[in-house]
This record gives sequence, C-alpha cells and structure tokens, in this order.
Amino acid sequence: MSFLQKLLEDPVRFGRLKRWSYAGLGAVALAEIVLPRIFPSGESYFSFEDFPAWGSLYGFGSCVAIIVVSKLIGKLWLIRPEDYYDR
Amino acid sequence: MTVEWAHPGLLLIFGAWLLPLVKGRTKRAAMLLLPAAAMADCLLMKPGTYGATSLLGQDLVFGRVDQLSLVFSYVFSIMAFIGMVYALHVEDDSQHVAALTYVGAALGVTFAGDFLSLYIFWELMAISSALLVFRRREPSAVAAGFRYLLVHIFGGLVLLAGILLHWSQTGSLAFGDMRASAGGVAWALILVAFVLNAAVPPLGAWLPDAYPEATVTGAVFMTAFTTKSAVYVLIRAYAGTELLVWLGAVMAIYGVVYAVLENDARRLLAYHIISQVGYMVCGVGIGTALATNGAAAHAFAHILYKALLFMGAGAVLETTGLRKLSEMGGLYKTMPVTLGLYMIGALAISAAPLFSGFVSKSMVVSAAGESHRPAIFLMLTLASAGTFLHTGLKLPYYMFFGKDSGTRGKEPPKNMLAAMALAAAACILIGVFPGLLYRLLPNPVHFVPYTLQHVTSTLGMLGFTALGFFLLLKHLDPAPTISLDTDWFYRRGASALMAAARGPLSHLESDFVGEVYEFVIRRPVLGVANLMRQLDGLVVDSTFVGLGRSTQDLSQVLKTVASGNTQHYGLIMATGILAVMILAIFGK
Repeated sequence: MSFLQKLLEDPVRFGRLKRWSYAGLGAVALAEIVLPRIFPSGESYFSFEDFPAWGSLYGFGSCVAIIVVSKLIGKLWLIRPEDYYDR
Repeated sequence: MTVEWAHPGLLLIFGAWLLPLVKGRTKRAAMLLLPAAAMADCLLMKPGTYGATSLLGQDLVFGRVDQLSLVFSYVFSIMAFIGMVYALHVEDDSQHVAALTYVGAALGVTFAGDFLSLYIFWELMAISSALLVFRRREPSAVAAGFRYLLVHIFGGLVLLAGILLHWSQTGSLAFGDMRASAGGVAWALILVAFVLNAAVPPLGAWLPDAYPEATVTGAVFMTAFTTKSAVYVLIRAYAGTELLVWLGAVMAIYGVVYAVLENDARRLLAYHIISQVGYMVCGVGIGTALATNGAAAHAFAHILYKALLFMGAGAVLETTGLRKLSEMGGLYKTMPVTLGLYMIGALAISAAPLFSGFVSKSMVVSAAGESHRPAIFLMLTLASAGTFLHTGLKLPYYMFFGKDSGTRGKEPPKNMLAAMALAAAACILIGVFPGLLYRLLPNPVHFVPYTLQHVTSTLGMLGFTALGFFLLLKHLDPAPTISLDTDWFYRRGASALMAAARGPLSHLESDFVGEVYEFVIRRPVLGVANLMRQLDGLVVDSTFVGLGRSTQDLSQVLKTVASGNTQHYGLIMATGILAVMILAIFGK
C-alpha cells in the first residue's frame, strides 16, 4: 500500500489531512489580511485589491459563480445526449 | 538561401522523410536528432534577415530573425523534441512525418517575413496537423479530421483573400505591423484568419472538436503549434488592437465555462487551451511592452505545461482506453508517477507559485491592471480560478481519485514518462528561475513576479477555489453528455440544411416551381407544338400526299399504255398508220 493510498483510505489519517487543510486555508487567509498591514507594498492597481483577504474571497466567489452559472447555462441550453450528432 | 543560415523548419520538413527509410534504433535516434538539430539551429541563430529571395518581382523573406521570432522558435523546437520523445514507441511513420512537418511549418510561419511564405507554411500546418487526427483511424476521428480540415481551409482562403487585397492596396507583400491599414477590409480578413487559428470564439469550436480525436501522441503536438503560431502572428501584426482585449478576456472565461460541462478528459483540456490562449490574445490586444512580453511568455510556458497535461491524459487513454471522466476513477493506485507529473502541469497552468504559469500569466493580468482596465483584470482573475478548478481539481479528482471505477491502468511506457518529466522539469525551472524566460522576451523586462502580495493573494485564491470545489463536489459529477458549441452550425446546421433541401425545398420545387413551369412553359410549348403538328398534318403532309397520289394515278394510267409488249406497240402503230391513211383518203 502506497503512502497516498494509506493517507486517503485510513479514516484517521484522512481526518488529519482534512484538519490540516482547513488550518492551511485559515493560515493563508490570515496571511493575506495581516501581511499587507505589516509590509505595505503599494503595488495594487485597484482599490478592491486592498480589501482584506481579497484573493481568498474572490477565488471562492469565482469558483462558486463558475460552477453555478456554467451548470445553469448547460442545463438550460447547451447539454445534449452523447449521440446527439450521430442521430 | 544563404549558406550561413539553414531554415530549421525546412530541416524538419525535409528531414522527416528520412524516417521511413531507416529502421529500429537508427530511426529512434533520427526522431530525436532532427528536433535536436532544429533546436541547436535556433539557439545558434543571430538576429538579422536571411533567406531573402525574389519571386515574380516580389521579395520573399524566409528568415526574419529577431527577439520575437526567436523566443517562439525556441519553444517550438523544444516542444518538438519533447513530443518526439513521447512518440518514440509509436510504430507509425506517417504520424512522425506529419508531426515533424507540422512543427517545421510552424517554424516557417515564425520566421516568415512576407505574406506569401507565411501563407504557404500556414496551409502546410493545417494539412499536416489534420493527418495527426486522421491517423487515429476511428470513424469519429476521420469525421473530426475532415471538419478540422474544412474549417482551416476556410481560414486559409480568408487569409489568402486578405493577403491579395492587402497586396493590391499597398503593393507590398511584407508581413509586419498592420496598424497602417487598420479598419480596412484586408486588415479585417487577415485578422479573421489569425483569430480563427487562435481558436477565438465563435471561430474556435474546431479545437475541442478535433484535438480529443487525434492520436495520443499527435494531440500533444497539436496543443502546441496552431494556436501559438497564431498568437505569434497576432503579436507581430495586431498588437494594440482593442477588439482583441475583449475577445481574449471573453475567451478566457468561455473555455472555463465549457470545461465545467465537459466529460471527455482531453476535450476538457482542449477547452482550457482556449481559455489560456485568451490570456495571450488579451495581452496582444493591450499591446504595451509588458502585455506583449506577457503574451509571448505565456505562450512559452503554456506550450510546455499544456503538453504535459495532454501527455498525462494521453497516458491514461493509452493504458486504459478510457477517455470519459464518468468512466475513470481510482487510477492513483496504479499510476502514481503519471499523477505526480500531471499535477506539476496542473499547478503550472493554475499559476501556483514556483511553477511556470505564475511568472507568465501574471504579466498579462498585471498589464491589464497597469493599463487601468478593472473589468479585464477581474475577468482574467476569475478565469484563473476556473483553470485551477478544472485542470487542478476536477480532472485529477475524477481521473485518479473519485469513485473507484475498478479500472487498473499501468504506468505508460518509459519514453512517455521521460517526455512528461522533461516538460515538468521545464515548468518548475521557469517557475523557480523566471529570469531564464524573461531574458528571451521581445521587450526588456522590469516585471517582478515574486512579491509578497502576489504570492499571498494567489495562494488565497487557489486555496479557496479548492474549498469551493470540495463544497460543491456533488454537483460536479461528470455525466455522459456533450455540450453544444459553434461547431453545431456546420455539424447539425449542415444536416438541417440537407433536411430542408430534402423536405421544404423539394416540395417548393415540385409544388411551386414545378407548377409554375407546367403552366408557364410546358403547357404553352406543348400547345404550340400541337398546333404546328396539326398544321404540318393538314397542309404540308396533305400537299405531299396529294402530290404523291396524283403521280401514282398518272402512273396507273400510263401503266396501261406502257405495257412493254411489242405486239401492243405494233398494234398501236398500225392503228395510227391506219388513222393517217383514212385521214389522207377521206380528208379531202
């Protein structure tokens, strides 16, 4: 059994992986909020980039928006059965 | 062609024909030596103008060597080498010849200094790459190959029309900045041909239609050359065209939206080519030094990581025969090396720090910021999240993890892994030492990718995109469906046209056109003909019949006289003499 397989199939290790991932996310968001306050760079092109945790928020929002909007367009318009062009 | 300059494209195009002549180890050596020689040729080249000839009073330039053509030629020849390593185990000479011709033609486009040689190499690229689709030999591949070829022949004709018009207006075939004729018909026609090859929607549906149908190794070549040589000619001729800024940004999102709906692994990656080329097209449109540098740098990085991703999906297809995400899953247990190398490509395309996309994509996004375009900036950043969502999360999740499909692939042949390792190494090398790439770019670079803000906001964006993915995971399960794209117009649209021709049009023909013909033409003509016939019967015929009859009657009469019997004639003569004698005796 490989390392990866153990990590994913053992519920204890998988739970630990999950907790570490959430901790990592928290750390990244926190870094995004705190670090610019300590080391102001002034390299933002737009004021919205200086909003606390801008990257994290916009990333999450983009991800959700892309999934929801694409699925909607797909359902209403674009999705066809696989043999659509063969019929 | 001067002796001090050998065209690397022609080297590949003619050198390719050596391959069918040799066997075994020699063949494999030749497969590697040809692109290596082309690479060395490009690396040794000094800027200048070479291979200038005159044809029919026109100056043709086969070798315009400058910073811009050089950076594209480097990555094209590097990719040719990696692609050949990946294809080393394939026992099909026609594929190798087609692939090398394709690369050679792309190099020909890169070094072309005039429209005529550009056009010749442009068409050669279309034909040789179509062969890479045909050679998979499945009926679906042959059909897709024909659609691909038709679209590119259409694009080639548009290009030719634009070139001829441009030539007649300016009297010059020189290929360069088209700003002087901006807005004209020739300008527009050439632009349409270029953006068609760059797969800009609505002219880009040929790409996700054809690439997933190509051979495993052929598709790897195809991802690199057609769209990126189009990006090159766009930088050369159309830098600073405002339309391209918006087309590029829309394109970046368009590819991402389609990738959500896609089930075919290689087609999903194909839609991400469209998305990534969107960044380059957008950079060309912005047109500043930073933006064109970004377009060129992103093309360079993109060729390597996209090929790596296609090689990963190709490895799965090669060893399991599976192409649909809905049928894969659980392959990480038996293909961990493929997974690891694929993930390097995925992190590179997602612009994760320390990978190539981070140092190239951010140049274009920063150029949008620098030129005060908040909407473009936000659109490109959104597409970036979408890229990680699909190539970094969705595809590897459903391909290698997810629900175990029970399929047990094995690692692909060693040469395929070696090619993937080469591309992966390049992705990391560029990401860690961006200066290596930056000093090749057409303009001087003052851009610093690794700043605290850039790194933290990128990590935040990628991390929380992943969070969104896992929260919405159950809505993303791939389903065996396809999604409509603009190829509908020539796939279903054409059959709708045929149905219309068979149904309504044929009814129109028989019910209306036919009736009109009946009453307006057929009946009057028949009527007149009938009249003439009767006239003929009454007058002409009876005249001749009457003449004949009277002749016959006369001859009947004469027949009794002219019997041919000598006694009758003697009797008649005797009767005559008798009558003369009676007249002589009694006449007085």
